Amino acid sequence: MIQIARALLMRWHLKRLRSLFHISPLFALIAFVVSLAATDFDRMLSLAQQQYGAGAAQTVIAWRKLIDESASLSESEKLNKVNAFFNRRILYKTDWEVYNQEDYWATPLEFMGHGAGDCEDFVIAKYMTLLILAVPNERLRLIYVRYKTGNTAPIAHMVLGYYAQPNDEPLILDSLVSSIRPASMRTDLSPVYSFNDTGLWVGGATTSSADPTTRLSRWRDVLDRMHKDGL
Amino acid sequence: MSLIKQLWIAIITVMAIAFAASTVVSVFSARQYLEQQLQVKNIDNATSLALSLSQMPKDPVMVELQVAAQFDAGHYRFIRIVSPTGETIVEKLFEGSIEGAPEWFVHLIPIVVQPGQALIQDNWKQYGTLTLASQEQYVYKSLWDGTLELLLWFVIGGIGTGIAGTFLLRFITRPLTDVVGQAEAITERRFVLVPEPRTPELKALARGMNDMVTRLKTMFNEESARLETLRKKVNRDAVTGLSSRDYFMSHLREVITGDQFGASGSLVMVRLKDLNELNTVLGRQGADALLKDIGTVLYDSGNGRIGQRAGRVKGAEFAIVCPSHATAEEAGKDIYERLTEKVLPQWQDKVPDLFTVGAVRYTRDQNMGSLLASADEALAKAASKGTNTYFAVDDANAKAAIPAETWRTLLTEAVGGGRLALSFYPVMSGDGKSSLHRESVIRLKTDDAGTLMTAGDFMPMAAQLNLTAPLDLGVVKMAIEYLQKSSGDVAVNLSAETIADFHFRNELAVMLKAYPDVCKRLLFEVPEYGVFRQFDAFRDLARTLKALGCRVGIEYFGQRFAESEKLAELALDYIKVHPSYVRGISENVGNQEFLMGLCKVAHAIGITVVALGVEKKEDLPLLAQLGFDGATGPGIN
Repeated sequence: MIQIARALLMRWHLKRLRSLFHISPLFALIAFVVSLAATDFDRMLSLAQQQYGAGAAQTVIAWRKLIDESASLSESEKLNKVNAFFNRRILYKTDWEVYNQEDYWATPLEFMGHGAGDCEDFVIAKYMTLLILAVPNERLRLIYVRYKTGNTAPIAHMVLGYYAQPNDEPLILDSLVSSIRPASMRTDLSPVYSFNDTGLWVGGATTSSADPTTRLSRWRDVLDRMHKDGL
Repeated sequence: MSLIKQLWIAIITVMAIAFAASTVVSVFSARQYLEQQLQVKNIDNATSLALSLSQMPKDPVMVELQVAAQFDAGHYRFIRIVSPTGETIVEKLFEGSIEGAPEWFVHLIPIVVQPGQALIQDNWKQYGTLTLASQEQYVYKSLWDGTLELLLWFVIGGIGTGIAGTFLLRFITRPLTDVVGQAEAITERRFVLVPEPRTPELKALARGMNDMVTRLKTMFNEESARLETLRKKVNRDAVTGLSSRDYFMSHLREVITGDQFGASGSLVMVRLKDLNELNTVLGRQGADALLKDIGTVLYDSGNGRIGQRAGRVKGAEFAIVCPSHATAEEAGKDIYERLTEKVLPQWQDKVPDLFTVGAVRYTRDQNMGSLLASADEALAKAASKGTNTYFAVDDANAKAAIPAETWRTLLTEAVGGGRLALSFYPVMSGDGKSSLHRESVIRLKTDDAGTLMTAGDFMPMAAQLNLTAPLDLGVVKMAIEYLQKSSGDVAVNLSAETIADFHFRNELAVMLKAYPDVCKRLLFEVPEYGVFRQFDAFRDLARTLKALGCRVGIEYFGQRFAESEKLAELALDYIKVHPSYVRGISENVGNQEFLMGLCKVAHAIGITVVALGVEKKEDLPLLAQLGFDGATGPGIN
């Protein structure tokens, strides 16, 4: 069973190796095959069935179908499909309501299993799904934003940004807004900080057991839990 | 290899293994911990710097300053910002190096920490990727220092354990040391007993060795006792306990011709009434009782006088040789008074005319026949004076005795140097073909003409004046000088008076230590009466000399045979048997048996036996047959 993180790692390693030693495309091919086999959908499905029941399993099956259908689409169509899938299918609920915690970063399985989540749960699920659909990691950013409309008090929010070109303005995938819009049209949002998993899965520490510090970071923790779910 | 050495090797091995293992464990766990901490620091610092840069206006100077401030105040190997298109915007690199850990150590345990990465946002746009790596060289230094400290503790621990172990082992094996000491003593022919240790294994060993030593000693004692009985039977008169005629004559000859005593002395004769007449008057038993009484008195007259000896030379005639009396008058009177006081009162009523005493002087190398004739004359003169009387003849021509003050001057000068000389006599092997060693004998030059005095002439005076120790040291010194110039071994005589002198022993040891090569060729011998008079002193001396590599022996051996069992502990190298036994050996079957037994016992404990006073070369085959290893005397040149 090869997990997605290991695939990411492999990709990173290969990239580095290729850039360093100009290794032949054969390695790229091997890396591609490995990444396709990376996600263990069967494990996710059985876990959803066991832990969250038939409804959750339906959602995972639909999610699986979405991935299968979208694999050959263009990147913008992939974005639309994935954004619409989660925005329509999953309810926005605070972590207090779902997990009875102040702040909890759910894995995609937990998110689909509960059928509900808050902004970062949406962002994580979309980010992971797009990675599975082979959207390059460097085009995706999880962005902390300040959200303010009208006279209401500003709230802390998170969205997923897609940078078609490194210097472009991003497209924003938001759980509060159904359609994808360029960042310039989102005057209600002001960006604070962005990240993805670049630089996290390096140095051989691919699982939590190897590095107890993983648990101390929310982001590394949720990535680690995803591996255990089969992602 | 000794137990202590093995213990140290074991400790060093164990400590080395423990050190290696704990170093590996501690270094590797520390390395993992440090790697994690550095990794977390890299990620966190990258994130926080990227976050603060994201909030700032992206004025290049401001970005540069922000990064520089972080870099200069922090501990980084580098901080770099690369734009999304790949150009480097800012880069700070630490170019120094931290000294501390050796190169091989760094290569042995590489520390792999990935740089931290974070993204900088310029409003919605990407500004760049921030990469930074913390300085990790100090990690090597701290790991290296830790390893050195660990090594230090292990060395201290190892040495501590070793020392403690050594003491413990010494404590445990102390009984073993005793047993080993006994074994060594036995190989050195010292037959000693050790206390039995408590350790059962060693106890059995010690008991076994003690048993062996005891058996050996018992055997030695039994053999000695047998020989002593034999010696008495052969050399003593059965009735009086005095020397037999043969033995007395042999002794007299030795006193007159030998080096041991002065150049002149007295011979006292005691003649009783005709023995047949005595038997008639007193009866056989009564006559024997009278003879016994007289024998006891004459025997006791020699107490404390070295060389004085009484013998029954005819049925009713006794002779006493007195080397130490100054005149015949003095010697004769002494014997006469003793007899008058102790024998006469009891027997006078039965035998009114009991004895006559005659005393004469002898001089060195005097003819025995003329001496005995003059003694007869003296007896006749005494008889003509009356009964129970004495007559002494002192030689009117005898040299006047040297006064004590002159002796003192003479001997003090001798000690100062110049007046002493050594004479050497060969000691041949039993077959007479090769030389065992040369015996050195001290001589004193009394005048400038070079007249030499023998030891017997001046050593008694030196003993009175307490000068034997410096004289003996002088002899040893001359012997060493002689040995340095010539080959072969030399035996040196030490005076009986000297051996008890503590200072002499120390000075002798110091002198000998300066010539370790010569020590192996030097033999020391002490007269038998000196050995038994100060046995403990002699044992200490023998031990000291043997430790220096010298050989030690006893000369004039055989007259105190009953005490010879003590010799088993001495590790003696040789004995020189008294001339009285050797002289005329071919005719004396009893002494042949005695000497054969003596040689056998001595050989059993590894002692070489040399015959003194051999007068004829023809005796050599017989002596060799009896077991003698060497011989010396007038007949050997």
